[in-house]
Amino acid sequence: MGLGKYITARVAWAGIVSLVIVTIAFILMHFAPNPAIQQAATDAALQGNDPQEAIERAEELRGLDRPIHVQYLDFLQNVYTLNWGWSEYRSQPVPQALLEGLYYSAQYSVPWTILTLLIGPLVGVYSAINMYSWKDHLATGFAFFGFAIPNFFFGIILLLVFAIWLGWVPVIYNPDVAVFSLENIRQLILPVFVLVTGSIGGIMRVSRNESAEFLNADFMKTAKAKGVSPMRAYAYHVMRPTMVPLSTTVVGQLLAIFLGSSVLVEVVFGIPGLGRLTFNALINQDTNLVLGSLLVFTFIGVVGNLIEDLVFTILDPRISYDDR
Amino acid sequence: MRRYAKKSQTRFLSRRQWLAMVGISGTAAMAGCLGDDDSGDSDDTGDDTSDDSTPADSDSGDSGDSGDSGDSGDSGDSGDSDDSDDEDDAFSDDDDDDEPIDELPEVSGTYDTVTSASFETLNPLYNTEAGAGTAIGRTIDQGYTFDDNNELFPLVYDMNTDDGGMVWVFDITEGLEFSDPYGSVTAEDFVYQIEEVHKSDWANTASSATWGGINIEQTGELQFQAELENPQLLWPQTFDPLEYPIPKGLMEPYVMEEDADGMRQDKELLELQFTGNLGPFVLSDWTRGAGTQYVRNHEYYIQDIDWGPELFNGAPYFEGASISVVEEQASRIGALQSGEADAASIPPERFQEFQDDPNVSMYQIPQPYNTIISVNMRDNGWTTGPGNLFRHMEFRQAMAMAISKQDLIQGVYRGRAQPHYTWQPRFSRWYPGDDSIDQFGSSEQYGEDLARSKAEEAFNKSDYDYRFDGGDLVTPDGNQVELDLYHSAGQDTERLTGEFAAQELEQNLGISVSVEAIDGVRFSNDYWTGTPEGGSATIDGEEVTWDSPAPQNPGPRSVHASEDWDMSLVFGLNTFPQNPLTNQFFFDGPTCFYNPVGYYPEFNAQELFQQAREAETIPEMKEAFDQIFINVAREQPYIMLTFEDDLYGYNPDLVGPSEIFNNGWDLPAWHFEE
Amino acid sequence: MATKKPDRFDQVDWDEFTDSTGLSISINTKLMLVAALPLVALYLFDRFRVGEREKTFPKLGEDLGLSGLFETLGLDYNPSNLDYLFIFTIFVFLIYLVLPLYQNPRMTKYYWSEFKRNRPAVVSLVWLGIVFVGGLLGPLFIKRPEQDILRGHQPPAFYHISENHVPRCLGEVSNGRCHGTWAHPLGTTQGGKDILDVIIHGMTISMKIAFITTLIVATIGITFGTVSAFSGGWVDEIMMRFTDIVISFPTFILFLLVLYIYGATLGMFIFVFAIFSWGGTARYVRSKALSVTEEEFIKATNISGASKYRIIRKHVVPNTASSIITQLTLLIPGFILFEAQLAFLGLGDSELPSWGQLIASGRSDLSFAPWIVLAPGFVLFLTILAFNFLGDALLDALNPQAEAEADK
Repeated sequence: MGLGKYITARVAWAGIVSLVIVTIAFILMHFAPNPAIQQAATDAALQGNDPQEAIERAEELRGLDRPIHVQYLDFLQNVYTLNWGWSEYRSQPVPQALLEGLYYSAQYSVPWTILTLLIGPLVGVYSAINMYSWKDHLATGFAFFGFAIPNFFFGIILLLVFAIWLGWVPVIYNPDVAVFSLENIRQLILPVFVLVTGSIGGIMRVSRNESAEFLNADFMKTAKAKGVSPMRAYAYHVMRPTMVPLSTTVVGQLLAIFLGSSVLVEVVFGIPGLGRLTFNALINQDTNLVLGSLLVFTFIGVVGNLIEDLVFTILDPRISYDDR
Repeated sequence: MRRYAKKSQTRFLSRRQWLAMVGISGTAAMAGCLGDDDSGDSDDTGDDTSDDSTPADSDSGDSGDSGDSGDSGDSGDSGDSDDSDDEDDAFSDDDDDDEPIDELPEVSGTYDTVTSASFETLNPLYNTEAGAGTAIGRTIDQGYTFDDNNELFPLVYDMNTDDGGMVWVFDITEGLEFSDPYGSVTAEDFVYQIEEVHKSDWANTASSATWGGINIEQTGELQFQAELENPQLLWPQTFDPLEYPIPKGLMEPYVMEEDADGMRQDKELLELQFTGNLGPFVLSDWTRGAGTQYVRNHEYYIQDIDWGPELFNGAPYFEGASISVVEEQASRIGALQSGEADAASIPPERFQEFQDDPNVSMYQIPQPYNTIISVNMRDNGWTTGPGNLFRHMEFRQAMAMAISKQDLIQGVYRGRAQPHYTWQPRFSRWYPGDDSIDQFGSSEQYGEDLARSKAEEAFNKSDYDYRFDGGDLVTPDGNQVELDLYHSAGQDTERLTGEFAAQELEQNLGISVSVEAIDGVRFSNDYWTGTPEGGSATIDGEEVTWDSPAPQNPGPRSVHASEDWDMSLVFGLNTFPQNPLTNQFFFDGPTCFYNPVGYYPEFNAQELFQQAREAETIPEMKEAFDQIFINVAREQPYIMLTFEDDLYGYNPDLVGPSEIFNNGWDLPAWHFEE
Repeated sequence: MATKKPDRFDQVDWDEFTDSTGLSISINTKLMLVAALPLVALYLFDRFRVGEREKTFPKLGEDLGLSGLFETLGLDYNPSNLDYLFIFTIFVFLIYLVLPLYQNPRMTKYYWSEFKRNRPAVVSLVWLGIVFVGGLLGPLFIKRPEQDILRGHQPPAFYHISENHVPRCLGEVSNGRCHGTWAHPLGTTQGGKDILDVIIHGMTISMKIAFITTLIVATIGITFGTVSAFSGGWVDEIMMRFTDIVISFPTFILFLLVLYIYGATLGMFIFVFAIFSWGGTARYVRSKALSVTEEEFIKATNISGASKYRIIRKHVVPNTASSIITQLTLLIPGFILFEAQLAFLGLGDSELPSWGQLIASGRSDLSFAPWIVLAPGFVLFLTILAFNFLGDALLDALNPQAEAEADK
């Protein structure tokens, strides 16, 4: 099987996975009570009409009286034509709501991802070079600390200390400041810090262990013997090979944290991003928006895994396409 | 958590009728009184002036206060003479804010507030939420408000009646303008809105339930009148006739098409782009989930009205305003401390702390929303055994006697709440007076012995053999009585109250109570409301028929919600001190409009309410209400616990807030001290 | 791990090779049966004999005529379904994990010498031991914390806060400051619950989540992984594609969805965690199983005519056990953290005395009553840290070459 074919197969598979997830979501939501219908009944009763009739009418209006498979097909069609409906909870079209959420989520996730990718491997390699020294222990300790401290717990404490007590950063997130401005940096520094400490640990550990292997490899000895400067040697002969296996784990790890932490970090810091949007849509039973955001997260997840696999295959030519 | 509890709540109970009636208090209660734990909208404090949800607005805490002023601190035993003075004041006419002022304050700063729940919609025709009501109110005034004397203060229109409340004449203020191209506000806009939109069967607006059966007629360029089915002397106080001016031209296309979705999703309505000179500010930005921003409206019509305080002449005195959605309570308070917000609600345990803080000035504001234990007298209640004891007045009294209001107020509200004995707060002019009512749960009428002997009376009346066995109250089978008590999930104050009540009932009545959290919407759908069936029942030898059953009173006790439940703290209710007649919805007989618990009054409620309705003078009315509230205090249709005060912190430079129930009615006059 | 590369020929357990019925029952399984039977009996008794409003143990005492004895022992415990599952899980843990260590003292000694070189891991083990024992026995001695609103916001011993924040100070008051007392060494919540008691009860909950979820995940994951590995062909393909889907779920969002719609009880938490989390384990077990199958001794067994089940049961699972255990150890902190996160978001039963609920309940009071958040937050942090250290150390001790893979 060639690379092209492999990629095609992977992409097709990603499509199937997202279909399955969307279907599960549809089923879950289908069996949840629909507040709009309930409300119609109440209204009818308030006006002295027959609530049962109102329920039927409301269901008819929303097409809920049709057989489930028809509703499902209809739903699928809407999903793939991006006709995602109107978000009741935000009074705007679902795609627009999701874009807005993404806009705010991206403002902290991009710096967070970049910082994690920069600092994580660097600290890991540094740690490996100084393995078992106090520097290594310090770095490892920090990694474990970030790994183990619950993000939300860390977040509320930092917010209390730096925003409320010291007043160094604003308490309220202001969505209207320019993206590239000092104010935006000030208000995003805590969430980014919390997220980076949380995600750096895993990456650091992988890169430390991986690079330890290369540090003692023969080509390092050769390089040293040749008189290559240590910096250069580390950069070319340790960092680079370390990045290969690392790149495969990074995407998955970041995704996992993104999906989970973003809700909590956004709630704690009041960022109107995708995570909080999803959470609020859920508890306000805004079905369209829940499905929409689920789709986005599924998409991110599926594409993330896809990229991970592809990068892996491309970076490491030894992998055969048949066996994954 | 409060956020959603509140939100979903409001959504479900959406009709304005409902709001006005239950006040968002329902929400409040479930939202837990943001007072202490941030439920909803709280922090908008000074804004009732202009929004839909005036009653709702205050939902923050279901409270009330003995006096309307700051004698706050002393909880349990207020009721000092001051109160009555204030009360009288409230209804006499001395306006002391009309003192002449030399110079109007300068316009400066922005008025920044925080709220805990984001806005679902800013469409004035469809909004049912208090928080969003405040956000809308920044840009557009509603018909009227109530001033610091509790009198109707006309904004967009004045309302008058000269035949005892049958026909009401609406006079629209002159000089009101919509934005281009909609021109001036005329009677036609209102008549069109009511007739073609609210009264239509397709639009389903927030106030679609309030205008049914009311005859609207345009009588002039700026005047129209409404003829009611029954005279209602206190109609404005129900907030039913409270509407926003909406241009006819804007609604017309949707009315033609009967396009409700189109109207709901209309950009001009959603983003308030038609507001002309109708509000203090103009909406400049609404970031969903994060809040709204406003700039000053230089042409605010209120500057030109001649019946307001002189300070209105330069209103508003802020260059702009903002409302930020901040879900974490700690952050909202932090924002107040750091000066990022000018107002925020404060939980009781921190009231004293901020009172000592020079960066914050504290206000304790009485509220008419109560905290009650609803006891289910329908057939799906009293799940512990046969013969629902809640149906016996004596048993409800015993429960009220078993719960110490003083300890509750001290422990949960840190003294910032008032005891609730009858269906009026002490500050109300309709409160019958401490001496005339039963004060169950006060220090005199509280305790194990009292409660148990009262309960024994109930046992004697019951057909079943309930008794005390050792310390326990046991069923005929000999098992201890075990009951559920639901509270809204995420509402700390409510949960604490529930746990306290459980403890007291266990100790003083030997009932084992399990306190359970429940989502507000789920409770409302599956426990609180039932499918209306109607039917009839024989009560005290009389045949009673449910002709117009509603979800909140679906029929006789045999008709009930799908799930069984015993007791609930989820909903608190409004006690309507301004318009106690509204309480007929709760109490005028078994078939009253709002009766989820299946309460059948044992006094002649219908007749007394009739008397109050037909009263021609205030003293006559007062007499009827005294009787009603004395009886309600005795019967405890709901186990009444407390009125919780709203506690707000403001920027100390802010001039304007006051500790009255209508705090914020004169927001246009608020300003920063230079 | 019983037959891992014996050093000497005479150490090989020949019984395992000669016994070819495939149905023999090991001592461990026998023990398991002995332990599980009374548990099942008790469960059935609880299910059918004990009324809804009765407590199991007093009722049992009554039926056995031992009420007096039970009362003197203070046995009025009333277990829930989850408790039965928890106890069952503990049995599994003891019999299949701890007992084998005892049965193979030589191996144990070797592992221990490897393990104890890692000092943080030893400390972690001690801490987890405390949490484990505290969670197991704590609730038997300490009553479920109850609220007493007049005791709210009491500071911990040695700490004092402004009297303004306390409804009624239990300790001494000086200069307007309320001092903590030893009655509540870690202070109380807003509702007056003792923090230490809640933390101890929280240990039980965390242990329940850790053990039960892990057992379910392990059961599904190992079954799935080994069956897939051994079936090969299209069965393998389908099973692994299915696993892919499970792994691709936006887990956290689905947690929210399911828990919000169907209610977030502790049982539901555990169920949902387990259902969405076994994918990684299955994949991992499969790859391990595949690599083990390549080993010569498996081929030998295969040739000698052992059944597939037998090979899996007797050789593959034991030989992958160490890496599976390590992998699971690293999963556990995730589950505990999930519970705390969901509690923080307000999903879940606020009555549940879990650490997450405690943190959530104290977050608004953080600025003046920091102990409500800090105490459980710190315990949560330490526990997650300990599991990570432990997992790391196990990785080194049991299975050095797996280091890189397990990190993925």
